[in-house]
Amino acid sequence: MDIDMLLYRGALLAYLLSTLTYIFSLLIRRVSPARAATWILTVAFGLHTLFFLGQWLSKGYNPFLRVHDMLSFFAWVMAGVYLAFQLRTKTRVLGAFVSPVVFVLMIISSVGIGGPMTVPEVLKGGLVTIHAMLSVVGEALFAVASVAGLVYLIQDGLIKRKKSNKFMKLFPSLQDLDRINHFCLLWGVPLLTLGVLAGSIWARTVWGSHWQWDPKQIWTLAVWLIYAVLLHQRLAIGWKGHKMALLSVAAFVLLLATLLVEKSFFTTIHRFY
Amino acid sequence: MNLILIGMNHKTAPVEIRERLSIACNEGFNPLDEIKAIPGVGEALYLSTCNRVEILARTQEGHPYAEERLKDLIFRHGNLGEEDMARCLYVYRDSAAIRHLFRVAASLDSLIMGEPQILGQVKEAYRLAVDHQAAGIILNKLLHRAFRVAKRIRTETGIASHAVSVSYAAVELAKKIFGTLKGKKVLLIGAGEMSELAARHLIKHGGDQIFVANRTHERAIQMAADFQGVPVDFDDIGESLREVDIVISSTGATGYILTYDMIAAVLKRRKNRLLFLIDIAVPRDIDPRAGDIDNVYLYNMDNLQDIADDNMQIRRGEAEKGELIVAAEADRYIEWFNTLAVVPTIVSLKEKAVGIINLELERSSGWLRNLRNEDREAVEIMANAIANKILHDPVTCLKEESQEGSALAYVAAIRRLFRLDGARDND
Repeated sequence: MDIDMLLYRGALLAYLLSTLTYIFSLLIRRVSPARAATWILTVAFGLHTLFFLGQWLSKGYNPFLRVHDMLSFFAWVMAGVYLAFQLRTKTRVLGAFVSPVVFVLMIISSVGIGGPMTVPEVLKGGLVTIHAMLSVVGEALFAVASVAGLVYLIQDGLIKRKKSNKFMKLFPSLQDLDRINHFCLLWGVPLLTLGVLAGSIWARTVWGSHWQWDPKQIWTLAVWLIYAVLLHQRLAIGWKGHKMALLSVAAFVLLLATLLVEKSFFTTIHRFY
Repeated sequence: MNLILIGMNHKTAPVEIRERLSIACNEGFNPLDEIKAIPGVGEALYLSTCNRVEILARTQEGHPYAEERLKDLIFRHGNLGEEDMARCLYVYRDSAAIRHLFRVAASLDSLIMGEPQILGQVKEAYRLAVDHQAAGIILNKLLHRAFRVAKRIRTETGIASHAVSVSYAAVELAKKIFGTLKGKKVLLIGAGEMSELAARHLIKHGGDQIFVANRTHERAIQMAADFQGVPVDFDDIGESLREVDIVISSTGATGYILTYDMIAAVLKRRKNRLLFLIDIAVPRDIDPRAGDIDNVYLYNMDNLQDIADDNMQIRRGEAEKGELIVAAEADRYIEWFNTLAVVPTIVSLKEKAVGIINLELERSSGWLRNLRNEDREAVEIMANAIANKILHDPVTCLKEESQEGSALAYVAAIRRLFRLDGARDND
């Protein structure tokens, strides 16, 4: 096993450990294990980062273009965004919801790791890399927004119930969660926009036109549209708090559902392996 | 062990009796010197708070009246008949006294369980005991253990978390809504005592600007000045709702001051920023249906009281975990105390010497093997003789002191100097 695989396995194991520690924190309803879990997650993120660096430097091929690499990159962005928030606000136990998602993504990704190393001719070029990375970062931000939205809905319900509750004490404050929503939409929408633009420019050079009415393209545009509307409502109309949390969760569920439909019932030219 | 703890607390004595005792003691008078003067009292600690008066003392053998005299002292200071006082006093001995002290320091015995002041008061009492040279080896160790027990219980159980007063429950809720109270604006409707108290609590935890609205505007101006806040005209409440984050309402009005429609309308104008409404008025000032509006969190007096009560229940549950820690730590202390007996100390001292001799003989076995049997035995005898000579004086001293009943300090010193307890228990 080379050093890269070692880093990857290490990250996977650390993600698992942090997930379990977070869950333990929820089970005993105390914040102290979550504190340890955050450190474990930080270690996992560090190993994961080293893994990507190693791939980039040693393999000489673009590590972000295979499906499982994308998933792994998606997980990495989610973990990174969460940890950045953890530094700034007291959103500690949010990790108990982010970490399992990250771990599951990593498990799925690990199935494909070590697969074909060759990248098809059509995917060689800087623009494709930019297209893929920006889109993944944008969608990962939406994923974080939806997780924060879910926790917001739980916390909102607990506060409205007007009963003493240990989970209420454990979970982050509404305003901090809402701030995460704000940040994720504010950065996610422009990044996805740039990603889509880069993709469409690339599409013209390889397929002849910017737009092919391909299921994947339609799906992406729909996602972009939903979140662009949400961001607009948030900034211009002042949708906040409960409604925004609910819509962020709903949007992401819709996004996953259509993704599933698209994958199972349609063929797409946007598939390269 | 000869530890005795005599005292009374909020559970055993009515406030009038506790009052008299603590008044007597607050008149620049500390009974420690008097306690120390009682024949047979070796070490003593005197703890007096609003809720308890306790004397912890280590008595010496052969003074059967020391306990009676300690009680007498309390009677005299309380200016009370023996009958009254005897009903309120409790007396704990040895392990029970240790457990009681640990429970007190950890706030398991407090009126509001888990309140943090008591530990500071115990520390202060200990400081006074040290200043009056009333604390010796036994109390030093005991009190340091008590501080550690308190810290353990505080961190390992949830006894100190969960707000148990109404105003603190409100602050905790505000923090769960806003994250921090820093920069948050508070509107007080009705300039009463209750709202003032709640406002002070919020400010203490970071609340920023205070707005005050009152039917009598002069009173609003007055109270706003107290808080360096802004008085608001009673008719402009709707307007100021646009700005503030927290509203505390406590007027004597019979109808609703804030109606559902008012709040629903203002929420749009404040771009749905979260709003925390606290209604401590009876009858209520705020339409209870307002709590159904998104991003509006409405709590009335009963809601807050319920939370405080529930939290008290949680604390009681956590206290049971605390009791386990107290029991375990008391056992550990007694274990340590038992090592202070003279005979086992002499035995372990000799064992240590024999151990060293054997180890050195083992190490030198290489060249000892070249000696004749008689010579080898002579070397061993000499080694033993040296060890015995060195230990003879300390051992004799220990025996003499134990006859006079004051060997504890020597035993402790010897155990420490010769490391008879290994590396552990040096705290």
